[in-house]
Amino acid sequence: MRRRVVITGCGVVTAAGTELAPFWANLMAGTCFIGPLRHFSVPGMDPLTGTEVDLAEPDSLEQDARGGRCAQLTLAAVRRALADARLGADHLGRAGVVIGTTLGEERQVGEVSDRWPASGADSIGPDFFSKSDSHRLATLVAKRHGLGGPTLVSATACSSGNAALAWAFEMVSCGGADVAVAGGADALTRSIYTGFLRMGALSRSICHPFDRRLDGVSFGEGAGVLVLEELEHARRRGAAVQAELAGYGVSNDAHHITAPDPNGVGTVAAIRQALETSGTGLGEVDYVSAHGTGTPYNDVAETRAMKAVFGERAGAVPISSIKSMIGHTNGAASAIEAVACTLALRHQGVPPTANLTEPHPECDLDYVPLRGRAMRVGTCLNLSAGFGGFNVCSVIKRAP
Amino acid sequence: MSPASSESTLPPIAITGMAVLTPLGDTPDLLAAALAAGRAALEPAADVPGVAAAAIRDFEATRYANVRGLRLYNRPTRLAICAAKMALSDSGIEAAGLPAEQLGVLLASTFGHLETLLEYDRSLVTAGMQRTNPALMPLAIPSAPGAATALSFGAKAFSITLSDAGVGSLDALGLGSRLVGGGRARACLVVATFSACKDLVLAASRAGLLSPTAALRAFDRRGDGTAFGEAAAAVVLERVELARERGAEPKAYLKGQASAFAGEPAGLESALGHACGRALRAAGLASAEIGLVSAGANGSAVQDGAEARALGALLGASTAGAPVMATKGNLGETMDASGLLQTLVAVAAMRSGKAPPIVGLEDPVFAGLRYLTREANVDARNALVTSISYEGACSALVVSREP
Repeated sequence: MRRRVVITGCGVVTAAGTELAPFWANLMAGTCFIGPLRHFSVPGMDPLTGTEVDLAEPDSLEQDARGGRCAQLTLAAVRRALADARLGADHLGRAGVVIGTTLGEERQVGEVSDRWPASGADSIGPDFFSKSDSHRLATLVAKRHGLGGPTLVSATACSSGNAALAWAFEMVSCGGADVAVAGGADALTRSIYTGFLRMGALSRSICHPFDRRLDGVSFGEGAGVLVLEELEHARRRGAAVQAELAGYGVSNDAHHITAPDPNGVGTVAAIRQALETSGTGLGEVDYVSAHGTGTPYNDVAETRAMKAVFGERAGAVPISSIKSMIGHTNGAASAIEAVACTLALRHQGVPPTANLTEPHPECDLDYVPLRGRAMRVGTCLNLSAGFGGFNVCSVIKRAP
Repeated sequence: MSPASSESTLPPIAITGMAVLTPLGDTPDLLAAALAAGRAALEPAADVPGVAAAAIRDFEATRYANVRGLRLYNRPTRLAICAAKMALSDSGIEAAGLPAEQLGVLLASTFGHLETLLEYDRSLVTAGMQRTNPALMPLAIPSAPGAATALSFGAKAFSITLSDAGVGSLDALGLGSRLVGGGRARACLVVATFSACKDLVLAASRAGLLSPTAALRAFDRRGDGTAFGEAAAAVVLERVELARERGAEPKAYLKGQASAFAGEPAGLESALGHACGRALRAAGLASAEIGLVSAGANGSAVQDGAEARALGALLGASTAGAPVMATKGNLGETMDASGLLQTLVAVAAMRSGKAPPIVGLEDPVFAGLRYLTREANVDARNALVTSISYEGACSALVVSREP
């Protein structure tokens, strides 16, 4: 018998806010935080645009001698989620942690490369081994907070955050843990900027999901973390249950190492599996958090997928992309979006797609342009897709 | 009302296909024969002085798999694809006409992208962005080996990479069992790969992880570090009833898996004990029903001592208890691949009734275990597989000869 999994805590660190209240207010206002980067650059490239997170103490100190920016963002979001869940140490001894990441501590690999021309093999220091071990993102969390359960790091490119939620759902629903801390984190890295630029997938200005002007991705850094808990465990300790993670769906395009299936076939499969396994009817879905990267490949395919799943009702289901405001935070994105879905349930409203004034000719759904919308929200779908074609859809519902 | 138990419960999961690529053999039978003979592949590392390594010589991927794009992928990815291909063939599931939508891939790989990332990043530094190869970037992220493996076989159910380092493949077997057991796929290829590039060997050596005497003495007081080995392994997991339905003959059955974490070295023994206990409870077995242990001991004094003491506490600290084998003295520390190799070696021992010796063990770090120091006859229905990572993660798996 499957156990029900609920969300009892959320934490985000994003350009739109590092606390839930300003994060939600900024999203609903449709404020775009994408702009010139102040702290990150790539030699040989023009000044970059994207989003950065300003962390003050104590988060800025969440970086031990072996930790990098990605660990810092992860730990900052975890601290907030655990505080939001009001979970004491007595509930953490067997808790698990699952962190999704696209790039891990890749920025530290860059530091080694910088020394390579002058130092050759001497550029490899004794800490390079642990810095290269992305499993450390989960074990640092476990160590910092005394979590004694499973520690998993899931790498499914830009669907990593949602995938982490899915594996944590398995962990809790199957009885492997009563509590699991799950989410995603990524820092800005030069390989992602240069790679996307060379592939022609980096926006020349700011990203415009579903808009006629869509020309590519704007990157950002950040982390999103949720505390998942078995329903009865949450009730016994008197936790405030914020929402239910009712299920998830997964699929793989097996189409191309970078390009998604142009018709969104994999996305359709993931959505249908998510609906089926969570016992959710099509008519129950009130809001869809889109992957919505601002690339023609993704946004058109995602629109086609929505139509394939919802048929004539597709245009009546609000779907939006908060990447239009906080940028594409890679492995963190769908975890941050899961937090946004939880807040949508809490506040009974849905965030908008910013920068959307002229819909793309092949994007003709209700993308909630420019400003958030107050509305009844009972069930959200959270879509994500990643390089390599891995799709994850999670279902987040009103608290039982 | 929700179940009160906190133990993971699963439907029975069958292993219907197995494959290995190691310096000591490229089939489970060849590997078992080499281990039984006490052969060790460790030798002085080719490009890093003062440490040992176990590399697969003359590896030619096209001997094992003929898939599109193979030449574009780095060595750990090619190893993974080749192992996956052999496991699929061994299972007979391709011939049975499994729809692509019903095949999932779960890859255990933490470092499989690293050499490509370094190549990309160094070309960026030395030659500038316009001279980088844009085709490299998608292969330079941690999920790339898994994505390439899934793409190679058209797997559409899922394509997941777990980067859990030394406990990666045991965690992957646990998650794969849940996904297959929960109906997310009819079959799941669990693949694990490890091939340390020179930079990683240098880093591990400079971090003091590798034996300065170029030896790997598992469970031995003289253990002064480990040595890397190169390997890939793969299994096909299916629900037992579905495997039977298509007439497949399971090689073994996965009964339970659990993981725990210790924030400090002093907690490793307790954490591994918790993981073992929970894996046994999930399997519905008592510790007395374990007939064989396939341990992860890798020559690192702290980890090996903790593992030995945890097993002693679990099995009764008696030299009359379940025999304990450890194969890293033969194959080296294969990180993400190690747990899957240990599992397949345990399956081979249960099926053949013969378990291989621990090479180089003379002075055990903990006396209360029945270490195998020569090939021995075993009559085990259930084996326990254990692993501890450098970061403090502990994982345990129960694999059985019968459903």
